[in-house]
Amino acid sequence: MIDRREFVRALGLGGVATLLAPRLAAQGETPPEQGPTGQATIEGAASLTPMNQDAAKTVRRPAKPGAAASMSADERDDLEHQIRCQCGCTLDIYTCRTTDFACQVSPAMHRDVMSLVEGGYSAQEILDAFVETYGERALMAPKKEGFNLAGYLVPFAALAAGAVVLVTALRRMQLRTATVAAARPDPAAPVEMPGTATERAQLDAAIRKDA
Amino acid sequence: MILVGELSLWVALLMAAWSAVTSFAGGQMGREDLVASGRRGLYATAAMILLASIGLWTALLTHDFSLKYVASNTSANMPKIYVFAAFWGGQAGSMLFWTLILALYSALAIWGVREKGRELASWACGTLALILLFFIATTCFKANPFDRLSFVPADGRGMNPQLQNPGMAVHPPTLYLGYVATAIPFAFAIAALISRKLDAEWLSIVRRWSLISWFFLTIGITLGMWWAYVELGWSGYWAWDPVENASFLPWLTGTAFLHSIMIQEKRGMLRKWNVVLVVTTFLLAIFGTFLTRSGLVESVHTFAQSPVGSWFATFFIGSTGATIYFVYTRLKDLEAKAELESMVSREAAFLYNNLVLVGIAFSVLWGTLFPVISEWVRGTKITVGPPFFNTVNVPLGLLLLALTGIGPLIAWRKASTSNLRRQFVAPVMIGCITGLTLAVLGMRNFHALVAYTLCGFVSGTILQEFYKGIRARHDMHDESIPRATIRLIARNRRRYGGYIVHAGIVILFSAFAGLAFKKDHDVQLKGGESKELVDPLGHRWRFVSQGTSTSETLNRFVTSVGLEVWRDGVPQGIVSSEKRQHFDSNKQPQFEPSTEVGIRTSSALDLYVVLAGVRDETAELRISFNPLVVWVWIGGLVMAIGGLIVMWPQAERRRAGGYVATLEPAPSRAVLASVR
Repeated sequence: MIDRREFVRALGLGGVATLLAPRLAAQGETPPEQGPTGQATIEGAASLTPMNQDAAKTVRRPAKPGAAASMSADERDDLEHQIRCQCGCTLDIYTCRTTDFACQVSPAMHRDVMSLVEGGYSAQEILDAFVETYGERALMAPKKEGFNLAGYLVPFAALAAGAVVLVTALRRMQLRTATVAAARPDPAAPVEMPGTATERAQLDAAIRKDA
Repeated sequence: MILVGELSLWVALLMAAWSAVTSFAGGQMGREDLVASGRRGLYATAAMILLASIGLWTALLTHDFSLKYVASNTSANMPKIYVFAAFWGGQAGSMLFWTLILALYSALAIWGVREKGRELASWACGTLALILLFFIATTCFKANPFDRLSFVPADGRGMNPQLQNPGMAVHPPTLYLGYVATAIPFAFAIAALISRKLDAEWLSIVRRWSLISWFFLTIGITLGMWWAYVELGWSGYWAWDPVENASFLPWLTGTAFLHSIMIQEKRGMLRKWNVVLVVTTFLLAIFGTFLTRSGLVESVHTFAQSPVGSWFATFFIGSTGATIYFVYTRLKDLEAKAELESMVSREAAFLYNNLVLVGIAFSVLWGTLFPVISEWVRGTKITVGPPFFNTVNVPLGLLLLALTGIGPLIAWRKASTSNLRRQFVAPVMIGCITGLTLAVLGMRNFHALVAYTLCGFVSGTILQEFYKGIRARHDMHDESIPRATIRLIARNRRRYGGYIVHAGIVILFSAFAGLAFKKDHDVQLKGGESKELVDPLGHRWRFVSQGTSTSETLNRFVTSVGLEVWRDGVPQGIVSSEKRQHFDSNKQPQFEPSTEVGIRTSSALDLYVVLAGVRDETAELRISFNPLVVWVWIGGLVMAIGGLIVMWPQAERRRAGGYVATLEPAPSRAVLASVR
């Protein structure tokens, strides 16, 4: 049962939370959309975000001397899967441009990719060119370098740390059990179980052949 | 009715506050009258929220555009079914919908508490009333669907066309049913911690509601994938969007809990861990809602443009703080009643499974938050999209799949070498044969090969368990094979229902691995022109354009293209895809054009046709061959059926009023013989 002091303490935690939370949330919070009269017009509907059709910038480089297409159409499509359309749809260029003509950004970015491919640039050079123009947001996944490595490695490191903790705990438990078992060798007597529980035990025994 | 609904919402706010105060006070002072008053307050809150919901539905269906919510999410020419579904289509309505489900669940959970659980009920009722108070207050003050406009527009904005899909009617409600149900186990866990009644009763209630939550989350997530696939037109069903991730997180921890609870029921172990999983599942549901409604992370869902973020942050921090406090101060009451005997045992396998499930949950959360962390640390905005999540989660998923097969093969307590050999031989052989056969047939994708090998292994496990069980029943009771199968499942619902869930997982992983062989093609066709393509299985497809056409129906202009399709020279009929431009009552275009995909499904692959647009009478199309997609829906369905079997109350449990299994020594041969 909770006592009064505990209750007040728990309430205090809630108070601290009230002070901290708005600061945490304020970073990302955006006001509701404003209509022409300054009145809030759009509820937060579960719909796709509005597109920014002016987001395309030019990513062009002079063709390399004696340039020929640096990759096949399939390889180019694969490359376009790695570059993000900047219209706000969160899709890659290939998917966006082949899904909807309404977007003018992904076709423009596609033309830039085509031009760089024709200019003899490699996949990595093309990705670098897009990053130079749009920043790292141009990539569908961060490059595996610098701080980004934390993104890729932390989940595995956490899992490894969890595995170490788990195995250590299990070993300790195993040791304790062995000690207790040595001191008390007699197992509990079998208990008759009612209804289907008995049947389950029989089935278990029959399946496992442990009986 | 609308006014009654609006007033009911405010009355519900007071009722929830009353219920919380009297329930906690009654529990603290041991006064039955206050506890009863709190309980009745909770029922009254549920009734008031129901009235408020009826009020909003009335406003929607009567097109009362004086309400900002109605004007923002519906229009006069929308089909009725979507007007009805608009209740949960926008921010404010979805908050009320969440509150409605929570209120009904809470009333049902408290009403269902039996004599044994009475001591828990007051604290659980208080906790649920507090959660309800938060949701009602957020709805009243930050996202009120009854807010009025200063003028009455002639028509509303309508609903985003991509929401005008039958999926809209079923996907959000099922997802909410799962998401909100996490509150009930949380409330009973908090009640058990406060009252220190950490015995079998709370566990029984928590397990029941965790299963309900898991069941609906499974259906909701599967329906969401289906909706994205048939409606959005990007030829996939999972994009690792923050909103998708938010629904996946509680599913992962809930699944971990449903495994580890078995160890507590049978062995009295993992008591602390289970409490942590129960509360984490609820807190992740709240945190996920905060993430996707605060704008902290970027999502395709404009829920991000919402003013409720700071309220959810406050609630999340408060709940987490209070939970940590209660868990920390009750650690002694949560000591295990038994110890693990071997690291090679069913218990240990469940723990490894828990580790991987929680590890995946962590990696999904980490990936979702990494853009924010990166911006904090480096000041650089980055995108963390599907390539990142696939890199990190595919190995973890395969590890989980392997454990799905290993766990059921290991005996409880301690597995002997002979037991392991006997149990593993057949499934491992099936797995190896599957992998080798596919390699010989030319499959070279490493991840897909590993996935199918493991699918073979897990299938072997499941088949072996069923085979042994059916054979045992056949031998013991002289039952026919069909009867033995039905009775095996009916009398061991938890175990064999669980295996059916595992079968669903195998089907899902097989389907996911099939995407490694997906092929997309850009195709431009004028009327009468044709194109030949080869699918990943080597079949030759021929597409002949029937030309494009335009029409006007209900609330949209439609541009469509029809393709006559042959596979290996055999006609397959016509597949058509549409571009739709929705308009309002004045025929003014609304929203961006949307895509209606043409899909031809077979067990081997889906033909997926998207009309991207029409230029100079030439249809610009994407034609995709998506292998094994239908098995995603079948896998989800099989998992749901398995979940339903597990959830179905066993007769003996109904009689006993709460069943907690214990691991007893196996009966002797004499006992077995006497039963025969």
